[in-house]
Amino acid sequence: MSAPRRGPSNERLERFARQWGLVLAVVALGFLYPTYVGWLKGLPLVGDYFPTVGSMVIMTVFTMMAVGLNIVVGYAGLLDLGYVAFYAAGAYTAAWLASQQFEQVTFHFGSVGVAPTLSGIHLSIWLVLLIAGLFTTIVGILIGLPTLRLRGDYLAIVTLGFGEIIPQFVRNGDNVGGFDLTHGTFGISPIDSPGFGSGLSSLGLPDNYRQSFEAERLFFYTALALLLVTVICSVRLRDSRLGRAWIAIREDETAAAAMGIPLMRTKTWAYALGAFFGGVAGAFYASFKSGAFPADFYFNISVFLLCMVILGGMGSVWGVVIGGMLLGYLNAEGLATIGSKLSSSTGIDFEPSKYQFGIYGLIIVVMMLFRPTGLVSERRRKLELEEGVHDEPLYASQRE
Amino acid sequence: MAARTEPDPGPAGLAARLPSPSSALGLLLVALVLAWLAVNFVKSPSNWTEVFLIGLTNGAVYGLVALGYTLVYGILQLINFAHGDLFALSGLVAFTILNSVLDIGSNPSTLVLIGGIVATLLITMTFFAGANALIELVAYRRLRNAPRLAPLITAVGVSFIIQNIGLAVYGVSFRSASDLVPHTNVFSIAGVSYQWNKLTVILVTVPILLLLTWFVTSTRQGKSMRATAQDREAAAMMGINVNRTISITFAVAGSLAAVAGLLFLLQFNMRYDTGFQLGLIAFTAAVLGGIGNLPGAVLGALVIGFIQAFNEGLSWHTPGSDWTQSIVFGILILILVFRPEGLLGERTAEGQ
Amino acid sequence: MSDVLTATRVRKEFGGLLAVNDVDFTIPTGKIVSLIGPNGAGKTTFFNLLTGVYTPTAGRIDFDGHQVAGEPPHVITKLGVGRTFQNIRLFPQMTAKENVLVGMHARMNAGILGSIFGIPRVRREEREADKRARELLAYAGLRGRDHHLARNLPYGDQRRLEVARALATKPKLLLLDEPTAGMNPQETVTFMEFVSTLRDEQSLTILMIEHDMRVVMGISERVTVLDYGEKIAEGTPQEIQKDERVIEAYLGRGAGT
Repeated sequence: MSAPRRGPSNERLERFARQWGLVLAVVALGFLYPTYVGWLKGLPLVGDYFPTVGSMVIMTVFTMMAVGLNIVVGYAGLLDLGYVAFYAAGAYTAAWLASQQFEQVTFHFGSVGVAPTLSGIHLSIWLVLLIAGLFTTIVGILIGLPTLRLRGDYLAIVTLGFGEIIPQFVRNGDNVGGFDLTHGTFGISPIDSPGFGSGLSSLGLPDNYRQSFEAERLFFYTALALLLVTVICSVRLRDSRLGRAWIAIREDETAAAAMGIPLMRTKTWAYALGAFFGGVAGAFYASFKSGAFPADFYFNISVFLLCMVILGGMGSVWGVVIGGMLLGYLNAEGLATIGSKLSSSTGIDFEPSKYQFGIYGLIIVVMMLFRPTGLVSERRRKLELEEGVHDEPLYASQRE
Repeated sequence: MAARTEPDPGPAGLAARLPSPSSALGLLLVALVLAWLAVNFVKSPSNWTEVFLIGLTNGAVYGLVALGYTLVYGILQLINFAHGDLFALSGLVAFTILNSVLDIGSNPSTLVLIGGIVATLLITMTFFAGANALIELVAYRRLRNAPRLAPLITAVGVSFIIQNIGLAVYGVSFRSASDLVPHTNVFSIAGVSYQWNKLTVILVTVPILLLLTWFVTSTRQGKSMRATAQDREAAAMMGINVNRTISITFAVAGSLAAVAGLLFLLQFNMRYDTGFQLGLIAFTAAVLGGIGNLPGAVLGALVIGFIQAFNEGLSWHTPGSDWTQSIVFGILILILVFRPEGLLGERTAEGQ
Repeated sequence: MSDVLTATRVRKEFGGLLAVNDVDFTIPTGKIVSLIGPNGAGKTTFFNLLTGVYTPTAGRIDFDGHQVAGEPPHVITKLGVGRTFQNIRLFPQMTAKENVLVGMHARMNAGILGSIFGIPRVRREEREADKRARELLAYAGLRGRDHHLARNLPYGDQRRLEVARALATKPKLLLLDEPTAGMNPQETVTFMEFVSTLRDEQSLTILMIEHDMRVVMGISERVTVLDYGEKIAEGTPQEIQKDERVIEAYLGRGAGT
């Protein structure tokens, strides 16, 4: 299959369009969602199934975490069952740096929507997102030090343990040496809102998300932008020296080490990066919900995210995005909608959302048994892209 | 690709094992704990002894579950994540059998009580033996030759499925049969008392363990299990039906979980998600003793049982029950990092 | 240095099993050396000691002026030891080119931020690595196979790919573990020629574990024989052929004349 002879710039444009056309279309559709969701929801029969913008925010945040988890599980092959710890770390960082929790000090920097005299630390949410990511990365590296030297299945159990300990610490953290760090089971609330402040409102940028008429939309656009950044980083890393090292480790650790790949260091990078995105997602979500509550962090969430990765396809970024949005939708709205529809039409009381984790468990088992490469398999995608890109004609291309 | 021929590097994998100053530190830690125990004993010996007996009793239950983990790991190198949830479900089912099927009432005579317990045990042991073997057949057998993480991920999925079955049938409320066996004292010496409902645990566990030991050491099936655990290919070449042996292993593990489930029900209360925490405790016990090693699982379980009881029952400088889970988990990490072969396990080929 | 690698009284115990027993071993620079011996003699264990997969229980290994006993594999590879495996260990889901690119990991520098942002230095490094990978593949006789998945390649090509990948690590010493296992006579001859050319063109030193005596006699300049973890003979191929202890080790007592 050889490309017809054309001028070089035309060929490059064609290649670009083929590779990125679909992606840009999807991204555009995503950003425009708030504008046409009303029309969608008005459709007969299927209208009720379309998620609200608020639900979309939740779905996007979880998908972002799934893409982060994919770096750890999908690329490097490290079964992390404690990802919820990163989510919690990010959320509480936001809680510490953008609320009245530390009322002993009063420090404002770039915050919006709070009186300058309000006690506590109040940094700009944009700064908080970055700090949360970095702090969670440090947490990830610390967890990784004893853990990443273990073999795969033991690594899973130990990460699970950390995933349990950190939420426990958060629940009991209202008396750390006499100091109230996490406000215990009550959680920390409210948390400041993102915004660009009055200074930039001339550029059309909203000065305070929550006070805006279109609060949910603004959160959604930001969530989508964060997801996009995560996806871009993930894709670029996959095709880089580090990404190859991760996949080599996943395929055959001994051979990878023999090829000069430092195992501990490389695994730690995967873990740290996964932690970073988990932390950013957690911080953003805390700001969205204006609170960080211990009840939000529990083991099942780690498995929920794992299910997204497995459903979408371990190692396949777009697959994980699809899997993430799909399962995120079921969790946020879908199961409840399906349940109520079934209940009203059959008269039997269905509550699928109560059994959602059983459903996710079933999805995991079914996928592992029948389609372990996921909905969108990693290799196929790569081959498809390269077939379009490669200059020389291939021999019969080998597909899975 | 050709299969690997190198010996299994064990939990520590290829990353370097830590050097032996850590053994000195470990011994120091153990010495500190023993000293703390000694002080507590001196301060209130009767309380200490009672707590010790509680630890023994709980350890017995943990041991039954830990054996399930270690049996399956020994033969398949699979951490059966769903095992704890099977245990929980078996306890709930035992509740139904005791109350609804056998209708044992709230104050049965001794004969009815014993008969009820034995009957329930027979039913649940058989049922969950079959259930576990069925789960292996459906969920794990296809993945026998898949990369090692695949069956573990699947086990996570199975765990959630089992939990939700429990949730669907029994809801979120706790079930218990802790008042069934009377709490009267078996003996009460020098301030130390031990109740019948606790002794029941020992009375059931000891024969079961003896039965298991006889099965594993003396019967043909037991020998097949040990052979398959050591070298699956060689066992197959010796004419051992590997599939059937693995099924039997799962069945034995399932029946042990059922025993543990009933015993737990007779002591405490349980619900659909009780298996998660207990599973972690039992798994830690199995690793502590040496994963794959049967006596080790029992030993590890007893140690963990003691640690938990001492932590929750003693009073001098005791961390307290809030810390139990963290302590157990801390033990797991320390063992895996510093002595992955556990107390009784053998150093694998890569061990230094 | 006239010897690129010197192993002194190297010993490896696995619990009660003594796999390598106080072996002294040197590899002269630029030579092709073969390590032979009956199955279970400890040859692959010795390889694993040289490459850092195992740490010696006792003894010393010096490579190119560095003490390497006990160092992790990636450090030893970076110092210049490349290897292939007895049971081919390619990365099955990666293409041939990707396998070779992984081999270049230690010789590249791209970091995490540089890769994400695609800075010019990283992009240039990738382009050059890509070019070198294709050249290595062509050199190993795998031209055009760049995008074939490693697991789909025919057996002989897989062996060549493993060599190409090992070459990507820019080794000074190349360790080949039974490289011609499973090859037919024609493939073996071609491979032997390839190994000789390798040594000459790439200025390598080569250590092979081999069972095929045609290869051992054909291209080795020195042969070392292990049996039960001990070195029982060392010399030119012709000397080894006539050594009584060697014959006894392979054929058993009373078999030789």
